[in-house]
Amino acid sequence: MTKVWLPCGHYHENYAKDQGWWQTPVIKGKMIFLLFIVFVVFPLTLSGYWLSVANMIAYTALGALGVQLLIGYAGLITLGHAAFIAVGAYTSTLLILKFPWPEFIVTWGLAYPISIIVAAIVAGLWSVLFGLPCVRVKGFYLILTTMAAQFITVDFILTQYVSKIGGRGQAFSLPPGTIKIGPWVIDTDLRVYFLMITLLVLTVMLMSNLLRTRVGRAWVAIRDNDIAAETLGISIVRYKLLNFFVAGFIGGIAGACWVANLAALSPEHFPWFWSLWLVGVILIGGAGIDGAIFGSIFMVMVMELLQMAAIPLSEYWPRILIFFAFIKDMAFGLAICAFLIYEPRGISYRWWQIKNYFNLWPFSY
Amino acid sequence: MELFLMTLTTGIMVGGIYALVALGWVLIYKCSGVLNLAMGELTLFGAYTTLSFYMLGIPFVLSILCTLIIGIVLGILVERIFLDRLIGEPILAVIMVTVGLSFFFKGLIEFIWGTDTRVFTPAIFSLKPFTIGFLKISTVYFWSFVLAIVLFLVFVAFFKYTRWGLSMQATADDETAALSLGVSARFVYAASWAIAFMAAGVGGALLGNINGVNISVGYLGLLVLPAVVLGGLNSVPGAVVGGITIGVLQNFAGTYLDAFFPGGVKEIFPFAFMAIFLLFMPYGLWGWIKIERM
Repeated sequence: MTKVWLPCGHYHENYAKDQGWWQTPVIKGKMIFLLFIVFVVFPLTLSGYWLSVANMIAYTALGALGVQLLIGYAGLITLGHAAFIAVGAYTSTLLILKFPWPEFIVTWGLAYPISIIVAAIVAGLWSVLFGLPCVRVKGFYLILTTMAAQFITVDFILTQYVSKIGGRGQAFSLPPGTIKIGPWVIDTDLRVYFLMITLLVLTVMLMSNLLRTRVGRAWVAIRDNDIAAETLGISIVRYKLLNFFVAGFIGGIAGACWVANLAALSPEHFPWFWSLWLVGVILIGGAGIDGAIFGSIFMVMVMELLQMAAIPLSEYWPRILIFFAFIKDMAFGLAICAFLIYEPRGISYRWWQIKNYFNLWPFSY
Repeated sequence: MELFLMTLTTGIMVGGIYALVALGWVLIYKCSGVLNLAMGELTLFGAYTTLSFYMLGIPFVLSILCTLIIGIVLGILVERIFLDRLIGEPILAVIMVTVGLSFFFKGLIEFIWGTDTRVFTPAIFSLKPFTIGFLKISTVYFWSFVLAIVLFLVFVAFFKYTRWGLSMQATADDETAALSLGVSARFVYAASWAIAFMAAGVGGALLGNINGVNISVGYLGLLVLPAVVLGGLNSVPGAVVGGITIGVLQNFAGTYLDAFFPGGVKEIFPFAFMAIFLLFMPYGLWGWIKIERM
C-alpha cells in the first residue's frame, strides 16, 4: 500500500524523485486540494457544531496514530493508551497552571507550546516505563500489562494524587486566556480546530518520515517475526522501547490538545473505554497511517449520525434518548464485531481496492 | 490476629467466587484458544438475570437454575454468531471481538436495567453473621462460597465422568487428535462458551448479593484476569488457586494498605500485583511454558 501507482509513460530519472512523497502531478494536485479543503474551506464553511466534531475527529486521530504505531507497526498490542494521553494532558495542565514561568514567556504566549513539548516527552517516558515489561513478555501478557498500566495510572495515580494537587478536588479547570500560542488565545472552536489540524498534519509527517527510515523498517521486522529480526542484528528491546516512547510522545501531544479543547481536566476523561475505543478505531480503519485517520473519521461520524437518528426515533421510544450513552456502547461493540467478521482488513483496504479499481480500469487484474 | 484471620476467611470466600468465574475463562482458552475479555460483562449478565427472576417471585435457587439455562442458550448463540466466523484469524481480531461483545452486553444491560444499584429484596441471606470459634463470618460470603464450590465440583464431575466432558478435555489437550477421533470441535467450542456463561452467571449472582447489583460487578468479573495469570492460562487447578489467592490478596490490601494510600487501593491492587508477577513468572504457576529468550 505504500507503492505509488504510476500511470503509463511516467517514470523517474533519479533516486530523489523516486522516493518522493507526491510523485505525479495528479497526486500533487489531489493532496494540495485536500490541504486546501482542510485548512481553508472547512474553517470558513463549517458551523460551530461541526467544527467541534472535527476537533473530536482530530483528537481521536492523534490518539489512534499512537496506537497504530504500537499495534500496526511493531505488533505490540496495547490496551492502555488512554493512560499516556492522560499523562500528557495532566503534565500540560500542571505546567500551565503551576509552573513559575518567567514573565516574558507568559506575555509572549510561549507557555502552552513549551508545555505541549514537555508533556509529550513526559508521556513518552511514562510510556517507556510501562513498556518495560515488553522486554520479558509478549502477546496476551503484554495486553495485560498495558491494561494494568491504564488502571494504575488513571484510576490510581491520577485520581488519588495528581488531581488533588493544590487541593482542588477532582478536576482542573484552566481560566480563559491561559492557553495562548504566541499572540493568539485559543478559546474558540475555530482556533482549537487550527491547532489540532496543524498538530495532526505535523504528527502525520513525523510518523510517515520515521516509518521510512531504518527505525521504521526495524519496527516492521519486529512485528513480522521478532526472533528473526534479532538474528539479523536488530536489537528488539531497544526498538520496542523506542516504539513505546514515540507512541507515548504522540499520545502526549493528543492530551495537550485535549486540554485546549476542553479547558478543563478530570481523570474521568480517560477511562479504559477510551483505550479500547482507540484500538477499535485502528481495527476498523485498517493498516497504515491512513487507517488511523479513516477509522477515526468513521467512528466519530457514525456516533454523530446515531445521535441525529436517535432524536426522531425517541418520539416512539423515549428511552432511546435517555439512555443514548448505552446505545453508543452497543453500537461500538457491534461495529467492531461486524468489521472484524466481514471486513477484517479495515476501511483503508477497501479504499485501496477502490483506488486500484479506478487506476487499473478497464483491466481489473 | 483476629483481624488477620477474618480478612483471610473473607478473602478465601470471595476468592471461591472468583475461582468459579476463572474456571469458565480457562475453559474457553483451553478448548478454543480464545482469550475472552468479555468475562466481566458475562458475570454482569448473570447477576441481572438472576435478579430479574428473583424479583418475579421465583425462589433464589430456582432463579440460579434459570440463569444457568439462559447461560447455556446465550453461550451457544454467542459462539455460533460471533466466534465461529473467526476461527483461524489472528489473535488480536478474536480478542477485539470479545471486547466488542463486552461493550455490546454492557450497553444492552444498562439499556434494559438502568444504572441504579439494585438489591435482592427480600434479602436472601440473613444479615447476622454466625460465629465459628471467635471468627464472625457473614452468611452472604459463606453461602456464596459453598454454592461456588458446589458448582465447581459439579463442573469437574461433568468433565471427568460424562462423555461430553471427556471430549472437551480431549480437545483441550490436543485438538487435532481429538478431531481425528470424531470429536466435534464446534460442539466443544459451543459447550465451553456455554459453561463459561453459566459459571460467570452464577458468579455474578453471588457477587451481586454482597454489595448490590450494578455495573461495578463487571469490574469484579475483570479480576478473573489476574487470577488466571497467577494460576497459568491453561490450568484449571491454577484457576482455583489463582482465584482464591486474588481474593485473599485483595482483602489484605483493603485491610492493611488502605491506611497508606488515601482513597483505597483495593480495586487496583490485583492489577498492580499481576503486572509485577508477569515480570517474574509470566506463565503463572502451572501454565505451559513457551521458552523464548528476548
